[in-house]
Amino acid sequence: MSRHLPRYLVQLLGTVIGVVTVTFFLMRAIPGDPALYMLGDYATSDSVAALRAKLGLDRPVIEQYLLFMQRAVTGDLGTSVVTGQAALTEILHSVPWSISLAVSGMAIAIAIGVPLGVISASRQGTWVDTAVMIVALGGISFPVFWIGLVAILGLSHWAGLFPTLGASSEKGLWTSLHHLALPALVLGVSVAAYIARLTRSAMLEVLSQDYIRVARALGVPERRILYRLALRNAMVPILAVISVTFAWSLGNAILVEVVFSRPGLGSTIMKAVLARDYQLVQAGLLLLATAVVLLNTTFDALYVVIDPRLRSR
Amino acid sequence: MTSVTALCQPPPLSLVASSGVSSEFALEIRHLRTTFPGPDGPVAIVDDVSLAVRPGEMLAVVGESGSGKSMTFLSALGLVPKPGRVESGEVLVGGRDLMRMRPEELRACRGSAISIIFQDPMSGLNPVFSVGEQIGEVLRAHRRISPAQAKTQAIDLLNRVQIPDARRRFDHYPHQFSGGMRQRVLTAMAIAHGPQVLIADEPTTALDVTVQAQVLDLIDSLRREAGMAVVLITHDLGIVARHADRMVVMYAGRLVEEGPVGEVFAAPRHPYTISLLRCIPHLDAPAGADLMSISGQPPLSGSVRQGCPFEARCYVGRGREECRGTRPQLEAVGSPAHLSACHFSQSLEEEEARA
Amino acid sequence: MSNDTSRPALEADPASLAKSPGRFAPLLSHPGLMTGAIVLVVLVIVAIGAPWLAPHSPLKTDLMAAFAPPSLTYPLGTDQFGRCVLSRLIWGSRVSLQVALSVVLLSLSVGTLIGAIAGYAGGWTERLLTALTDVLLAFPGFLLALAIVAARGSSLESIVLAVSVAYVPRVAVVMRAVVLTIKSRPFIEASHAIGMSHLRILFRHVIPNAMPPVIVIATVSAATAILAEAGLSFLGLGVQPPIPTWGNIISDGQTAIINHPLISVSAGLCIAVTVIALNLMGDGLRDTLDPQMRRQTGARMF
Repeated sequence: MSRHLPRYLVQLLGTVIGVVTVTFFLMRAIPGDPALYMLGDYATSDSVAALRAKLGLDRPVIEQYLLFMQRAVTGDLGTSVVTGQAALTEILHSVPWSISLAVSGMAIAIAIGVPLGVISASRQGTWVDTAVMIVALGGISFPVFWIGLVAILGLSHWAGLFPTLGASSEKGLWTSLHHLALPALVLGVSVAAYIARLTRSAMLEVLSQDYIRVARALGVPERRILYRLALRNAMVPILAVISVTFAWSLGNAILVEVVFSRPGLGSTIMKAVLARDYQLVQAGLLLLATAVVLLNTTFDALYVVIDPRLRSR
Repeated sequence: MTSVTALCQPPPLSLVASSGVSSEFALEIRHLRTTFPGPDGPVAIVDDVSLAVRPGEMLAVVGESGSGKSMTFLSALGLVPKPGRVESGEVLVGGRDLMRMRPEELRACRGSAISIIFQDPMSGLNPVFSVGEQIGEVLRAHRRISPAQAKTQAIDLLNRVQIPDARRRFDHYPHQFSGGMRQRVLTAMAIAHGPQVLIADEPTTALDVTVQAQVLDLIDSLRREAGMAVVLITHDLGIVARHADRMVVMYAGRLVEEGPVGEVFAAPRHPYTISLLRCIPHLDAPAGADLMSISGQPPLSGSVRQGCPFEARCYVGRGREECRGTRPQLEAVGSPAHLSACHFSQSLEEEEARA
Repeated sequence: MSNDTSRPALEADPASLAKSPGRFAPLLSHPGLMTGAIVLVVLVIVAIGAPWLAPHSPLKTDLMAAFAPPSLTYPLGTDQFGRCVLSRLIWGSRVSLQVALSVVLLSLSVGTLIGAIAGYAGGWTERLLTALTDVLLAFPGFLLALAIVAARGSSLESIVLAVSVAYVPRVAVVMRAVVLTIKSRPFIEASHAIGMSHLRILFRHVIPNAMPPVIVIATVSAATAILAEAGLSFLGLGVQPPIPTWGNIISDGQTAIINHPLISVSAGLCIAVTVIALNLMGDGLRDTLDPQMRRQTGARMF
């Protein structure tokens, strides 16, 4: 395992550098003058010139890029035009909110999605399978923000079970959890639908393998075949599914945060976009992408643990 | 669990005598018929197959791909893939009919009273579990034993199938074994509970010739040690000649010839068998002589609903009315143990001379 | 038979007897596939025929009739500006279909080319292209699209561009995997042996054989494109009002959702029906074209 470490780190570093580069050039893709864009209605030729100088926009692109890289490494990702605070600090404020939503959402999604997928696969062709798959199809086809609105309408407004806002200014663990519950549930259900479908595919693939046929032919009980012999093999593709859907769910999380007016990375980025606070958008994007890269690398390492065939390489 | 497994032990002699169930055979299949849905109605992949194997005997089942030879025994074990189904027939192991059993009883018999080794050792073992764990899985499927006992017994079995350094290899994974070794492991799993019947479905087809011989010799010695009945499904007549006691020849889902190996090879009494034997190249044939083959393709099993399925390719019966219209039944030719399903089985030499 | 004991005999698959004959017959007999296709055809007709099918202009406001309940004049009622909801939904289908079609064409043509080249060429070309796609894949798709739209401003073109850019690496990854399996097939080796140039092999053999998975990916990417456009419009970054798109109709209805849920709910249902139809088609194509594909086109499509 330690043999692989250098390779992973190099890959990680390369991807992160790539991410930073793409983010940098993305923000430069804004047509027109970014300084003008940022100042909007308050632009005068003097203020524009001053901002351009401050942002280093009058220097050649390569120099800007290197400066950006240099600053990024030290944690200086620019300043928010709106609040005047360091962009990184702004972002980091909202991270805990997003993490709690993303993690709880994924936990719910895995807790619902994986078992449903496994059960569906084990009962392929029966009404259970069809029913689960129909529900899952619905889950991936309704936009998550619509599900959120309907959930607010149904569970919050009519049933009064949950608060309509995704966060509250009151302190207290129970209050926080209470406000987290519905957004997490909505995110979780939406992601669970994907996980269920893909888990079912992975299980069906495994169940069609020869070694499962052999186990059955030699009298191993069906339960054991499913939950031990087959599942262990499906773990690698299921983990791959989880890692991919986690990255994707971050996109959904933005929509959930907006629907529930819940603070977090998504809301922050959205507000920054609407306020033309491009340093903040840049910082947020960078952080998210880097987090995804780190996560994927961790998962890659996990595969080696699970699949003995990968170990002797 | 122990009580269900007991269903698969041979019944006490007193019961046997009074019920008239024959205990002469370890495995007896009677009129087995398995169908799959087809474009024009159900197609019989296994079409009224009956055969029997005595304890300690090796029966070879010979036929081309699609002749139904594997499906016959998958049906016997209740492992027919959907959408196929077994329509009728009896499968008696130690006198008890597997077809009449509840699923849980049938499961208890699989691997303990009747066992199977499949064709492809490369994909037959679970890649994420060690070899020892997998043998243990089969052991604990039918007996309540502790993991430690399972380990001892598994190492024992690995020794029996001649895997060197068994104690260390117990923890190794399938990808660390060669094809021949994997087939030995699968054999160990199959004989773990000392089955009365072992089905070997083309166990050596995917292996090198030298390894083939080793695996077959292993099966042979296990057979002799335990008095196990073995069914060897193969398309390799050389293997049949060297290892089997009796043989049956299948074509298009039906039995066409059956008898002791020596007799069938020396005096085949069915045009298909004769053609097959002629196809074997001989070392002492003149150089430059063409290789023989049977022209045409076998029909999809069960698709020939009338007459003899071999008629279209038969050097005796092609185009003849009886062969087209009436289905030939298995009848004794020569000795009572040698049967053939051909309208002209008694007069093959004259027919050939005529052709 | 005894002539050839060197290769293991392949057992004829009795289960394949159950499949109907003919090339398109299996496609036609798959209920999910047919349902999806029919719904999609209806949708295309509605989108094309919007000017004639919509009872009112989607832009016409009538503040006196704001939030009118469903009636004969306004089958789904009106929104806060007195605009007919049904007409807006009908016209909204145009945007969704335009976006879906454009994204599919753009991302598939670029993505399959990149993926095919990466898979086929191997060596440094492959490593470079893979590194590039990995970087792009590090950004969650919706986020990347959002950032691009934020940078370039909201318009139909920038949405199409944004979603396509987000999707191209995902298509490329799947295509590369498919090409790798095709590349190792004996007939490719044979084509080399008779002296075919790489370019010819790529276009004449590799890409046509990769078509079935690509068709499946097309349906999935169309579905994702519609959901992405809806999300962007909902956030206010998509097609700008007053042009109706299902996403911004949901957003419009959000403030009034407690008393007048029909607006947002009906728009969401439109999106869902379309996406369900596309997914049914994708699933159906996967089932009928090649069971192998399930593995290839499964997880990586976000």
